[in-house]
Formats: sequence, C-alpha cells, structure tokens
Amino acid sequence: MLAGFRILDLSDERGHLAGKILGDMGADVIKVEPPGGDPLRRRAPFLGGLEDPERGLAWLAHNTSKRGITLDLAPLAGRALFSRLVARADVVLESFAPGTMEGWGVGWEILSAENPSLVYCAITPFGRTGPYADYAAHDLVTVALGGNASMTGDADRPPVRCSLPTAYFHAAPEAALGIVMALYARDAGGPGQLVDVSMQECQVATLLSGVGQYERRGALGVRAGARLGRTREIWPAADGFVTFGLRGGHARTKNLIATVEYMAECGMAPDWLRELDWSSYRPEQLSAGELDRLEAAFGAFFESRTMGELYEQALRRRILLAPCNDPAAVLAHPQLRDRELFVEVESPDPQVQLEQPSFFARAGKDGIAIRRRAPRLGEHNDEVYGELGIGSHQLGELRDEGAL
Amino acid sequence: MSASGIFAGVRILEFGSGAAGPVATRYFAEQGARVIRVESAKRPDFLRLLHGPDPDAAPMFALLNPDKESVALNLAEPAAREIAERLVDWADVVAENFSPGVMARLGLDPERLRETRPQLITVSGCLFGQTGPQRAYPGFGGQGAAIAGFNHLTGWPDREAVGPYATITDSLSPRYVALAVAAALLERRRTGLGRAIDLSQIETGVFSLSEMIVRQSAGAPEAMRRGNHCEYAAPHAVYPCRGDDRWIAIAVFDDAQWLALRGVLDECEGGDDWGGDERFSTVAGRLAHEDEIDGRIADRTRDRDPRELMHSLQSAGVEAGVVQNFDDVLNDPQLAHRDHFQKLTHPRLGELSFERSALRFSENPGSVARPGPLLGEHTRVVLKEILGASPEQIDRWIRDEVLV
Repeated sequence: MLAGFRILDLSDERGHLAGKILGDMGADVIKVEPPGGDPLRRRAPFLGGLEDPERGLAWLAHNTSKRGITLDLAPLAGRALFSRLVARADVVLESFAPGTMEGWGVGWEILSAENPSLVYCAITPFGRTGPYADYAAHDLVTVALGGNASMTGDADRPPVRCSLPTAYFHAAPEAALGIVMALYARDAGGPGQLVDVSMQECQVATLLSGVGQYERRGALGVRAGARLGRTREIWPAADGFVTFGLRGGHARTKNLIATVEYMAECGMAPDWLRELDWSSYRPEQLSAGELDRLEAAFGAFFESRTMGELYEQALRRRILLAPCNDPAAVLAHPQLRDRELFVEVESPDPQVQLEQPSFFARAGKDGIAIRRRAPRLGEHNDEVYGELGIGSHQLGELRDEGAL
Repeated sequence: MSASGIFAGVRILEFGSGAAGPVATRYFAEQGARVIRVESAKRPDFLRLLHGPDPDAAPMFALLNPDKESVALNLAEPAAREIAERLVDWADVVAENFSPGVMARLGLDPERLRETRPQLITVSGCLFGQTGPQRAYPGFGGQGAAIAGFNHLTGWPDREAVGPYATITDSLSPRYVALAVAAALLERRRTGLGRAIDLSQIETGVFSLSEMIVRQSAGAPEAMRRGNHCEYAAPHAVYPCRGDDRWIAIAVFDDAQWLALRGVLDECEGGDDWGGDERFSTVAGRLAHEDEIDGRIADRTRDRDPRELMHSLQSAGVEAGVVQNFDDVLNDPQLAHRDHFQKLTHPRLGELSFERSALRFSENPGSVARPGPLLGEHTRVVLKEILGASPEQIDRWIRDEVLV
C-alpha cells in the first residue's frame, strides 16, 4: 500500500514497531543504527539462548520489513552522509530525547530546510515541548503518568502495568498513522511537516474517555483486579483463568441464561439458580450475601472445567466467555491459524523456525504482510549507500573515518 | 471541522457501535473529514444506553464521537437501505464494526458495494475478522484482550490474569483501522482504486504482541505477567507515597541511574547507605535481589510527596512518574500544554472535556469543535444536502419509521 515511500527509521525500542508497520505496508524502511548496533539487539532472550546481536528475539520481532544500515551521526562525515540519505527520503522517524538530533546538527528545522517535502516524526514520552518534555520515560513511567496504571491491578497491592510495553504498542500505530496523514497532506501539494507524537497522550486514550466521564461524575474509581465494580470478571478454571462478566444489562441476558443451561446440563446448577429470572437481574441491587452465593455457584462450575472445554461451549452456546490465553494457546489458536495470521520468518538459526503475526489487517493484494526478516547489522550498507552513488572504495574510506 | 484539515473534503460513512470502530474515524474528523454515522433509535449504539435510557445523554458516547454527524436510519426498512446505498455513493470510505454478515444482510457488504464502485474504501473491524471458524463469536473487548494474551501478561504472578484497565483491543484496534484507511486514501490518489480492509480487533492485539509470539515459537522463556518487574531492569516497580492510594513508578536501567536514585533517596534519610550493598552494584545483582531492594525503596518513598519526588528523581536523571489517577490526568500540566483536553458544551450534558489525538502536526493543527451528536441530529440536513430530499419526503420517511 505504501510502495514508493522511503522512510529512515532512527528510532529505538519506542519506535521500532512504527517503522515495522510501515515496512509491512510496503514502504521502503531503512533502519539506521549506530555503529555498535541498536541496543535492542542485545536484549535477552536470544534465539537458542546464545547471546548474539543477530539473535535477540525482541529485535527480530520488531524490525521485519526493513533494510538495515549503520551510520554514526556524531562525526561530520556521518552527518554529511545522513543529509544525502534525507535528500532521497520521504520520512525521518526518530524517538530520541528532544534536542538530541539538534545536537548532531540534523534537527527537524535543518533537515526541513534541506528537503522541504520531508515528513519528520518524533516519538517522545511527553511531546517535544512543555513542562515534562525533558522527562525520561520508557513503558512503566508512561503508563503511570498516562493514567492507566492507577486502575490496573488489585486494590491491596500497587498499581500495575502490562509486562510487555503497551505504551509502545499504542504509540507505534499512532505514529505510523501520523506519518501517513502527513504524506497525504504533502501529496495534495502541501509541504512536509513535523509530526510530534506523545506516548503519554496515547496512554490517556486507553481510558476510552474515562477522564471526561470522571470529571462529570466526580468520583474516582478503584482498582478492582479480577472484578469490574461488584461483579467478578476473571475466574479460575481447572487449568488457568477465563473471563466472564457476571454483569447485568440487556446485552448479556441471553448469555447468562445460556451459561446456566450449560451448568444445569453438567449437573452443576442448583435449583435456586435455575429459577432465577435473568431478564430482571440487577447485580447492583443484590446483597453481598446474594452475590457471594451466585459467585460461588459460577466459580465452582468454571473451576471444574478446563479453559478449552469452556471456550468450546461458549462458541457453541454464544456465551460471553473467553480463556486468558497463554502464548502457546495464542500461537495455536484455530481461528488465527485459519486466517493465516502467523507466518514463518527466516531465522538466524536454520534449525529453528520463527513464527510471527504477518499483518494487523487483511487489505488484499500487495496489502499488509511481512516483506523480509529483520536486517543483520549493516546488512544493506553496500546496497543503500550504493543507491546514493557511493562505491565500495569510498564506503571503505567512510568506514575508516568512523562514519559507519 | 477544520477547513485546513488534512482530510478536508474526505467523506466517511460509519456504521456500527461501541468504541473500537467509532474511535478510528475521529482521527479523520479532527482533521476536517466529514463523518456521518448511521444510527437508529430502534437499535441504539450500546454506548448510548450505558448510563441510562436516554440515548442523547450518554457521556461516553458523546465523548468518543465528537465532530461527527448522526443520521437516524432504520435499516430494517427497505427504503432505509436504499437511502444507505445512496449515502455509500457519496462516501469515499465506508467503516463498520458489526458482526460478520450483518452488512451483507443489509445488502451493504463491501464486496458488492465495491463491484460497481472500485474507488470505494471499506473497512470492517469486528472482533475476530470476516473469515474463519470463530468469526461469529459474540464477545466484547474484554474477551478480545484475554484471547490475544493481554490478560496473561498483566497482573501479579501469584494472582489472576487481570489484563490492563479498560479494554485494550478497543484502544489498539482503532489506531490500526485509521492507519489502514489513511494508507488506502493515500494509495487511491495514485491508483484510483480503493481497498476492502478486513481487520480483526484480536489480531491487532496479537500483532502488537509480536515479541511474545516470536519468543514462543523460538522456545524461549515464556512471556509472563510479573507485576511491575522487568526482565532486564531493576529496580523497576511502583512504590507507595504519602497520601491515600498515592504511588510513584521508578525504572532504573543502568548503574548511573541506580547511583542517582540512591543519591536522591539518601537525601531524605540523612544519608544512610541503604543501597550501598555490593550485591546491588550490577543490573544482574539488582535483578537477583529486586524484592529486597523494592522493600528498601518503599521504606524511603512512603512519606514523600509523589510529585516532588518525581521532579527530584527526573532532575537527577532517574525515570520516575506519579501514578496519576483520573483527576491528576485531567489537571496534568504537560497534557494542558498540548491542549489534550478541549472543553465543549453538549446540549444535554453541559460542559465536557473532549480529547485530541496524540498527534501534533506543524502545518495542520486540527480541531475538536462539536460534541458527539444527538441521535439523528443531522438527519434532515444530510438527506437534503446529499440526497436532495424535500422536507415533505423527509417527513414521510419519518412517519413511515424509515428515518428513526
């Protein structure tokens, strides 16, 4: 979809996924790494447990569909080379602390003066200006300041984050979208422009208007862990956890009736439960004792069944229940397999097949799919610099000068 | 609507309900696109009924749908479906997030629409996608997050798999919907052709978790929920502060930050050497003793003001952030600097704080100008402007329950 657009991706782990997304959509994404390689290359776990910058699994996952070059922006020769790359690029994507690129003499204002049609996207924790612009953050601190952590986890323990970086997961498609929007504006005859992405604002968006609702209501919520308000959402099954809301409301009535039928067929619905009128079920009006009794009946049933059994029946009976899948279950999921979400990607070790999701949406021919595995360090130096007309002799000189 | 918006002149017709679909089109409305929602009082968007029976007094709906127009169209009526098809003729983009098959039953399936209108862009964004054995699964976002693996990754290792607050597939998927549509609009400028996009909310979640999938397929240690701990950094957690439910997130990635943290926390304790233990001098050592370190840090943060401590730590070069509750987020100085919240007056709900995207464009500021529409607020103006319908015809359609 984005064939013909060239993107220089200077980002670190906070932006890798944004570059990957654009590459998976067909753009020519060139990952620009410092001579020692991107720090994520050294992040464990490694393929086969062998510490090697070509085997870091987080690196491999987030850098598909990119070509890779090395470039040191600090020396003059490196800076000059970068200018030549920028002259032939549509987009620069970076996630340095504000002012870093300016310190190297390759900030937005300078690059834009050299190439007025350039789109420059900066992903930062809080935005390029403002009172917290110079504050440092990766995932945890962003999720804290963005409001989501305050409501995640149990009331009797500290607020908690997701153990993989949801701050990056939201900022990446937002930044990719901002880049495509700026290209759309440019292709209508406008100039290139700066796209300033705040990871914190992306986190506020995860609250789905919760802050505006709070302002109107005037009462703060509480972390409720496995519950949503008074009713349980997460239940132990025989081999893990399932999600099932014991909430009321019209949209859930049929599913509650179907669940009790299922329990009855298994001989696990007491008489009083079978006689309940779910159309008038209002959990907020029940006493604590009544809720406990309900919860105990459903809880005993779910605990007697595996996640797989419960989900199979949920599909058959249209029950709003789902397993809290572990990675193995996600990778083996029949629906995702049927849609061919996972593809084998060439691995640094021919003995081990690596699989990963190939698309975030199906968009038809030449749409969205992994184009190539993550690049080895400097793998495309000859190719990319060759496209600038730099021969192997000159490349050797640049290497000696420390530019690569 | 902003006349100078990136998407000025772009026309989007939206079917569906909830958060995942409607949030996606907001990016376009904020940048000048005209977004018309097709709704009906016969089957209102469930967000309109979340807070009570009046569909026009629902804060969550109003907050998530600013700058859109609402047309009341009872699609059970053949005449309404004819009107819908004429609105499709007007549109550049048709966005929907019904269950698979609903659009087809209405005679509006993307394949059919695009047969005669190859320039049309359609996007379908249901939970599991348009194909596959489980496509009809009736779950909400809570189930989507569990199926994709987010619950497994969020919470305490000794407790339930709770998942991040709110429904993360509802905040991830709209970003990908908007990205796919924007890219299709950009591509259409060159090719003249639209695309049919089939997006599964769950797959956007699994795509985000590419690292988890790659690790699993490589046979590496499974990604798992670990509270706030991090596999490669310590200390990395949330610590108590002075006040009711007040917390600070602190993330230390290297030895310099560790020394800086010790410096700041020593200050308040009269210089005791709580962190000087030789065992804590390396990342590996800190990871091995992180519970012990967490306890020592908590003893030193417990009586401190979280905001002052954040400022002290950030000034010293340590990543730290207040765990902001919704009131803090509403009053956050950085978000205020970026004009994240925009106050608008809703005719039924009064003043509400609407949110902007996380993108700031140097050339196209964009705007949030009108609160989410009342149900059918724009029926007359849309039918007059787009269909050229007379007031008498519109009255007849209203009487015949076509326009309700």
